[in-house]
Amino acid sequence: MYRGLLVIAMLAFTTDSAWGQASPAADQTEQVKALLERIEKLEKRVAELETKQSAAPADSLSAANVAAAQKPQQPEAPPAREDHGMHTTAGQAEAHYPSLQIRGFADADFSATDQRGSLSGFNLGQVDLHLASPLSGKISYFGEITFTAQSTGYAAEVERSIIRYDYNDHFKLSFGRYHTPIGYWNAAFHHGAWLQTTISRPEMVRVGGPFIPVHFVGFLAEGNIPSGGAGLGYSAGVGNGRGTSISRAGDAGDNNNNRAWVVNLFARPVKLYGLQLGASLYRDKITLTNGRNFREWISSAHLVWAKENPELLAEFANVHHREVLSSLVSNSQAFYVQLGYRLPWLEKTLKPYYRFEYIHSPSSEAVLNLQDMVGSTLGLRYDISSYAAFKSEYRNTRRVAGQPRVNGLFLQTSFTF
Amino acid sequence: MKTSCKRAMTILFLLCWLGVFFQGQSAAQTSRGPDIAVVVHPDTPISDLSLAEVRKVLLGERQYWNAKLPVVLLIRAPVAREREVVLRVIYQMTENQFKKFWIAKIFRAEAAAAPKIVYSSEMAYELVTVLPGAIAFVDAHDVRPGAKVLRIDGRLPGSRDYALR
Repeated sequence: MYRGLLVIAMLAFTTDSAWGQASPAADQTEQVKALLERIEKLEKRVAELETKQSAAPADSLSAANVAAAQKPQQPEAPPAREDHGMHTTAGQAEAHYPSLQIRGFADADFSATDQRGSLSGFNLGQVDLHLASPLSGKISYFGEITFTAQSTGYAAEVERSIIRYDYNDHFKLSFGRYHTPIGYWNAAFHHGAWLQTTISRPEMVRVGGPFIPVHFVGFLAEGNIPSGGAGLGYSAGVGNGRGTSISRAGDAGDNNNNRAWVVNLFARPVKLYGLQLGASLYRDKITLTNGRNFREWISSAHLVWAKENPELLAEFANVHHREVLSSLVSNSQAFYVQLGYRLPWLEKTLKPYYRFEYIHSPSSEAVLNLQDMVGSTLGLRYDISSYAAFKSEYRNTRRVAGQPRVNGLFLQTSFTF
Repeated sequence: MKTSCKRAMTILFLLCWLGVFFQGQSAAQTSRGPDIAVVVHPDTPISDLSLAEVRKVLLGERQYWNAKLPVVLLIRAPVAREREVVLRVIYQMTENQFKKFWIAKIFRAEAAAAPKIVYSSEMAYELVTVLPGAIAFVDAHDVRPGAKVLRIDGRLPGSRDYALR
């Protein structure tokens, strides 16, 4: 009897083994499936037990309602457990002060134009280091240092150095060196070329350009204005204003006994997510090296659709100068309109764009020393990864009426690290 | 000036048209699925937010629940469904746009740090329980009893017309 059973069992075992050898893949798949199901069940069970363990006795808002609506019944009897997991993750998430983060930006460029006397070739753009360091729950430091290639080496510059105290969302006070909050671009993109769609900044906000004071040394208050769906915000500050060199801020001190002030108001309507409208006013007294004094008013407005399908940036500024002695007045205007679109193909890596820009400065203008300019830029941005991009641009510009237009090809690879 | 203005206007018009055309196409590609619950630390003085207010919080435009309680954003790591829903419905951004958004935000000195990344619902729960001001997004199927779940536009997960799914 037992021998018979043993023979049958042996036969069954060998048959099973032979079957298993004949189709190992199917068998393994079944086993993996079964194991996965088992793991899933065990994971659910562990989660349920942990839930029971950590559930607070007083039920807040309506987690119970959510559970009733979304989840099947809970099994009972949770055993006690140790909270190692919680301590690990909470420890990782705990804030440490100061906690310095450094991010770098860099770009390499190629340019070629048909302008007489110009040289084509490669150049290293800016290497830009950005520092951010929370010093406490409400105090943070932000810094930006650039290294720009020159014919004799590299020029290092402290672009921004800001310490900020946050009282709440409506009032944040900071001190240091900023990008002046006039208009949109100057306070939105700073120096990392990777952040902006195009290769270059518009001429009116060009770093080192005279049209608006790109930098500002002083203090700034900023925050949201309680305004419901209008989404209003402000920034207002007082600082040294333009330095002796008109394109630079008075980093080491003001060159006259008159402070500049700036007010920037903007709206981000809740119902039109992506839209930003804003206006800025800037007031300063400029003292040139030849001793002439001018009162300066800069008024600016911007309209931005910050999404990428499409992206629209439009900005206008008027710079008004009045000489204190002679009351000679001049008004210079500049604007640009930039439109881009992130194409839906190739994993949304391609973004064609176009920008039209215009600058006019009258002959009576004695401060800016600026040439008129009308220009178009047509380009394509290709995001080769999440943190690097190739850009190619064709530019057509005319500086002075009657002079020939200049055509140029510009290439850039920019990235963050 | 006149000729260049005409050229500029033509190019701008073409790009606008492309934008409107593809906007319509991408809007038709959105999908629906299980709800995502918005869970906050039990002491957070908020129980109901509109979707626009959640967006303000996630965009870093609202950084404080009140003067003493900063918002601590917890976002799931890439590939998680919770993250996909948050990016699609609230941020309306792709993964790359989202990364770039936070780099730019910190670069503009508008925020001192990016959202904290959590790798599981479990981790999200643990952090939301211990970090005052924390806000996290978890699959409504995994909501634990006792968790403080926010109403979005007056609706809880599981309700008809709930926004986050």
